[in-house]
Amino acid sequence: MAEHHTVTDGKHKASPNAGGSLHGNSRPNVASGGGGKGGLSGGLAQPAGWQSLLSFTILFLAWLAGFSSRLFAVIRFESIIHEFDPWFNYRSTHHLTTNGFYEFLNWFDERSWYPLGRIVGGTVYPGLMVTAGLIHYVLNLLHLTVHIRDVCVFLAPVFSGLTSISTFLLTRELWNQGAGLLAACFIAIVPGYISRSVAGSFDNEGIAIFALQFTYYLWVKSIKTGSVFWSIGCCLSYFYMVSAWGGYVFIINLIPLHVFVLLLMQRYSRRVYIAYSTFYIVGLVLSMQIPFVGFQPIRTSEHMAAAGVFALLQAYAFLQYLKNRLTKQEFQTLFFLGVALAAGVVFLTVIYLTYTGELWTVSYAKIHIPIIASVSEHQPTTWVSFFFDLHILVCTFPAGLWFCIKNVNDERVFVALYAISAVYFAGVMVRLMLTLTPVVCMLSAIAFSSVFEHYLGDDMKRENPPVEDSSDEDDKRNSGNLYDKAGKVRKHVSEQEKAEEGLGPNIKSIVTMLMLMLLMMFAVHCTWVTSNAYSSPSVVLASYNHDGTRNILDDFREAYYWLRQNTDEHARVMSWWDYGYQIAGMANRTTLVDNNTWNNSHIALVGKAMSSNESAAYEIMRSLDVDYVLIIFGGVIGYSGDDINKFLWMVRIAEGEHPKDIRESDYFTPQGEFRVDKAGSPVLLSCLMYKMSYYRFGEMQLDFRTPPGFDRTRNAEIGNKDIKFKHLEEAFTSEHWLVRIYKVKKLDNREPLDHKLRSIVPRPKYTSKKV
Amino acid sequence: HISVGCTYLLLLLYNSLFYFSVFAADDGLVNEEVKRTVDLSTHLAKITAEILLSNQGDSAVHSFILAVESDLAPHLAYIGASVKGDEEEDGMLELKQTAIQGQSGEFYKVQLPSSLGAGAKLRVKVETVFSHVLRPFPTHITQAERQLVVFQGNHYLFSPYPTRSQTTRVRLASKTVETYTKLGNPSKSDDAIEYGPFRDVAPFSEDTMKVHYENNTPFLTISSITRTIEVSHWGNIAVEETIDLRHTGAFLKGPFSRYDYQRQSDSGISSVKSFKTILPASAQDVYYRDEIGNISTSHLQVLEDSVEVEVRPRFPLFGGWKTHYIIGYNLPSYEYLYTLGDQYALKMRLVDHVYDDQVIDSLTVKLILPEGARNIHVETPYPIDRVPDQLHYTYLDTFGRPVLVASKTNLVEQHIQDIVVHYTFNKILMLQEPLLVVGAFYILFFTVIIYVRLDFSITKDPAAEVRMKVASITEQVLTLVNKRLGLYRHMDEVVNRYKQSRDAGALNSGRKTLEADHRTLTNDISSLQARLKAEGSDLADKVGEVQKLDGQVKELVCRSCQEAERLVAGKVKKEAYIENEKNLASKRLDLVTRIDSLLDTL
Repeated sequence: MAEHHTVTDGKHKASPNAGGSLHGNSRPNVASGGGGKGGLSGGLAQPAGWQSLLSFTILFLAWLAGFSSRLFAVIRFESIIHEFDPWFNYRSTHHLTTNGFYEFLNWFDERSWYPLGRIVGGTVYPGLMVTAGLIHYVLNLLHLTVHIRDVCVFLAPVFSGLTSISTFLLTRELWNQGAGLLAACFIAIVPGYISRSVAGSFDNEGIAIFALQFTYYLWVKSIKTGSVFWSIGCCLSYFYMVSAWGGYVFIINLIPLHVFVLLLMQRYSRRVYIAYSTFYIVGLVLSMQIPFVGFQPIRTSEHMAAAGVFALLQAYAFLQYLKNRLTKQEFQTLFFLGVALAAGVVFLTVIYLTYTGELWTVSYAKIHIPIIASVSEHQPTTWVSFFFDLHILVCTFPAGLWFCIKNVNDERVFVALYAISAVYFAGVMVRLMLTLTPVVCMLSAIAFSSVFEHYLGDDMKRENPPVEDSSDEDDKRNSGNLYDKAGKVRKHVSEQEKAEEGLGPNIKSIVTMLMLMLLMMFAVHCTWVTSNAYSSPSVVLASYNHDGTRNILDDFREAYYWLRQNTDEHARVMSWWDYGYQIAGMANRTTLVDNNTWNNSHIALVGKAMSSNESAAYEIMRSLDVDYVLIIFGGVIGYSGDDINKFLWMVRIAEGEHPKDIRESDYFTPQGEFRVDKAGSPVLLSCLMYKMSYYRFGEMQLDFRTPPGFDRTRNAEIGNKDIKFKHLEEAFTSEHWLVRIYKVKKLDNREPLDHKLRSIVPRPKYTSKKV
Repeated sequence: HISVGCTYLLLLLYNSLFYFSVFAADDGLVNEEVKRTVDLSTHLAKITAEILLSNQGDSAVHSFILAVESDLAPHLAYIGASVKGDEEEDGMLELKQTAIQGQSGEFYKVQLPSSLGAGAKLRVKVETVFSHVLRPFPTHITQAERQLVVFQGNHYLFSPYPTRSQTTRVRLASKTVETYTKLGNPSKSDDAIEYGPFRDVAPFSEDTMKVHYENNTPFLTISSITRTIEVSHWGNIAVEETIDLRHTGAFLKGPFSRYDYQRQSDSGISSVKSFKTILPASAQDVYYRDEIGNISTSHLQVLEDSVEVEVRPRFPLFGGWKTHYIIGYNLPSYEYLYTLGDQYALKMRLVDHVYDDQVIDSLTVKLILPEGARNIHVETPYPIDRVPDQLHYTYLDTFGRPVLVASKTNLVEQHIQDIVVHYTFNKILMLQEPLLVVGAFYILFFTVIIYVRLDFSITKDPAAEVRMKVASITEQVLTLVNKRLGLYRHMDEVVNRYKQSRDAGALNSGRKTLEADHRTLTNDISSLQARLKAEGSDLADKVGEVQKLDGQVKELVCRSCQEAERLVAGKVKKEAYIENEKNLASKRLDLVTRIDSLLDTL
């Protein structure tokens, strides 16, 4: 009957009832089974029908749960693009939809990096914009007039559903359907992935994780089947990944590594050969079609591992071919060993270069390029954040890994490598936590699934043999056979029963309850983290009063919109690079530097202007044609992410390029402290950033208990309260002083006389209306 | 200086007298008594005049002429006249623009409700509103300064008729007045200046009245507004207004200091922090946003007869600053849409309230009617420019919704009036949208069904193919074998019946049918076996074995048949027969089990 099973496996095409009812039945049953075979009409009455309905429902619910748990920000605030990079992506998508694809590819953005400009078409991964643009186009073609902003905002949550489906597919290939469903549920709500894919976070990662998982699924499929069809599918998915995210390098290193390890484990087969050869050639050609990637795949070291493995595989295959022809056994093995060693050494050096290179770049950057080190995402991951982002999964995934290694086969080798490399990368950088999350979900699902299979399997199973359509999975588990050799193994129901008989019902229920409790806590934790940590647009801030009512601090948009409406269309705004994308996106004004950070010296120049005194800064600003300067100041409301707190990075970056003019030590007190109060260094107290932040702040008393000019962020009374500007003038300050914009005055027609303007006698101190 | 003015006045008088003679001959109307009010307390100049018209001619008149000075005429936003009866105010009068030869300015011919006989008198109220006539002076002020504006008008009523007596009262926005013209020694109280009474003023008299005073009222101007009204027959009317707003007062000079603005109440006194927009009482789902999202600084208050939105732009508007926003809401259609059979009429405000004393420089109204609306006919309350109709596509549209586009410039509050749109709509078309959805789902499910049921693979997997074939053949073998075993059971019954009835004919015929059926079945099975062999399946051997076993079973059945014959014929004893039969049955059972087990492994 095994033939029946293999036919019915997975597909609905053959009658699903053949598998169940034929087992060891007597004649009347056989006859009725044959009679009922006429069609699929009995679908639901059959176990397989129920199973696919159940899977479909669970996947659908996972999608729904994933989608809706990403909507906290939209419900609490509004449908808005979050943070910094998404604003650029949104702006490019907007450009794409208004001007067309080719216009987008050739886009030269003269509104950023003034006066250099930026060739956007050639310096972005266009996958995200094209995806959003395509969805928008199709919807509009169907006369579903959805605004492109809404498409962008909801793209990541929608793709999270696709991610969970591809995770399901991948885990099903690796283990079984049950584990796949668990993995789909995990990935739908796990915070590590939600952090990058909440509604409004319109970033590459949102769609890239889907592409990553789907590529891996297709890879596993092609390794399993050895068919060119699946391999080409894998290439197309890889192409999509390349177009979407720089993290494609992970794929192009992991897959060769997998192949290499398979070779080492003597698991070479023609399937591996077909899959990898097709993948490498077609994938290479496809990936080079992305303008931003260009010739990198054949030039840079991080792609060399793939090429090395390709050469090695060819050599190996050639040897295999020779092996069948040659008769001199000893000579041949010797020859093979020699070549394999040589190729292995070559490959290892390449690998070594690649990975140490990677390591080297990251650690090099930390010491030598402050601009990379200054980004909080690039910090190494703490243990807390592992738990925070993955919760119970971080504890259970080693168990899943162990299960995989214990019952190893071709694709489980792959998932093991995936897990190990992802753990390494996640340890290096917080940002790469994202690549770890899917594999953790998969392996934890495998662990949970195996445990449940042992402990939740009830007595029913003993009476009725299992009726799953995926009989080969059972085979694997029971006989310990490898998949690729498991095709002909028969099912032995009785043996399976024996294995489970040792467990008492009490232990079973206790373990089950415990596991369910864990899962429940996981779900609660996920919701809590999503709601509290990852659902703030960061463009809009909210504070809560004692009575629970909410105050929205909309200062960013207030100031950006002021810029948009009330400055010249071609005005150039200088700000620290963090706000470049937001200014371009929301204020639609020309910026000097932005989050693209491709030109370090330009950023250093801005940093120098910020950290020089006013007249020196004026020179720089005039040479850069600056009309307005925008800074973020959190001293009034106690917002800690403001420019004074980032100021040391500006100094450091400026010092890197202009060591003669800017020295970091000048900004510290002799004791080595960074202080804004009277004890602070005089250089700091007279630099442009300080003056712009605290202009007229010295007159302001926020509270009865504190002196005027008390900075709430740094809890200090500022040291320089008498700030006068000569070349600048306050142009706009937002309601809570969060954003301050200064206008750079043009040169005077003639030197002004130094006389005092008649001024009204300043009134005594005012107290703040808000406390 | 005064003498020059006098000469000018005389000249003017002379001129007007000349024209007056022309008119006097025409209808002989005289402005008996005129009370003018020049309201300058907002950023608009609202000039109302109560005129006691008297017909001193010989014949009855049916109309009279209203005139607007040429300096002010380009700023005229609204002019209206009504008859003031003894009791309530009568309805508005109809105005028609005309021209008078040799006179600059704008002229309107007012049709009287009933003719005014000779010697009769009539009290008329004329209301005019001018926008952008208050010029800020100085044009640029700092944040701490107050806003001063200049108004330049006419001391007299500009009229083609002589005026017997008139007074002019100017209402200001504040007590602070820099200068004002002092014709006829006006009296000034708190925030008002009273001119006159002036007696016997000639027609078309002009004398410049100039007031320079402090006015900190919001100088807000809507530089453009696009009002989109989308009518749905599913019970909803969606209204959306896209508004460009500008502060048209004195420009802000120098820095904007948030510190001063927050700490001193009179800092930036002429700036606009917020204003109130009144929406219809049934407005729901109000939103207030701009290109970069929701404007979180607004408040909504639902009152008994209206919905009040406190619109607060993202930032305070100082002189010269502008902003842009979108406000939208939904209305239930039953309040505005009337229907009779296929005839529909939509009655809505052409332009709605944005803020008190609003000025709209340019208005565009887009009326989106349901898909399939025909015979569209529009009634506007005042003349408005129609642009060619457009088509609009939105959810579930196929051939587009008709959009009526109209535009008008220089509107004020008085223009908040209803527009009526008549059209016909076939109610059957309502079904189009649900049918589209149903159709789309139908196609989706149908595709899924087709996909699941048919094999679209272009390659053949020989192994799978063979497996499928073998499976189907085995299935057939199973059926046939079962049938064959069924034959034996049937035969047993026949034999039993024979034992009772001793009808040899029945037995023989039974045996014959058994033989025949058995042969066909066996042949069928062996042909299937051959096919299995052709497919290269090792199951063929098993089938062969089944055949072999079956042959033995058949033999046993035949033997039991013969035994039965012999028993009936009395050749064997009953005991021996039973013994024999038992033996045969056990053998048969054994064989059948073996066949079964073989079948199970198939």
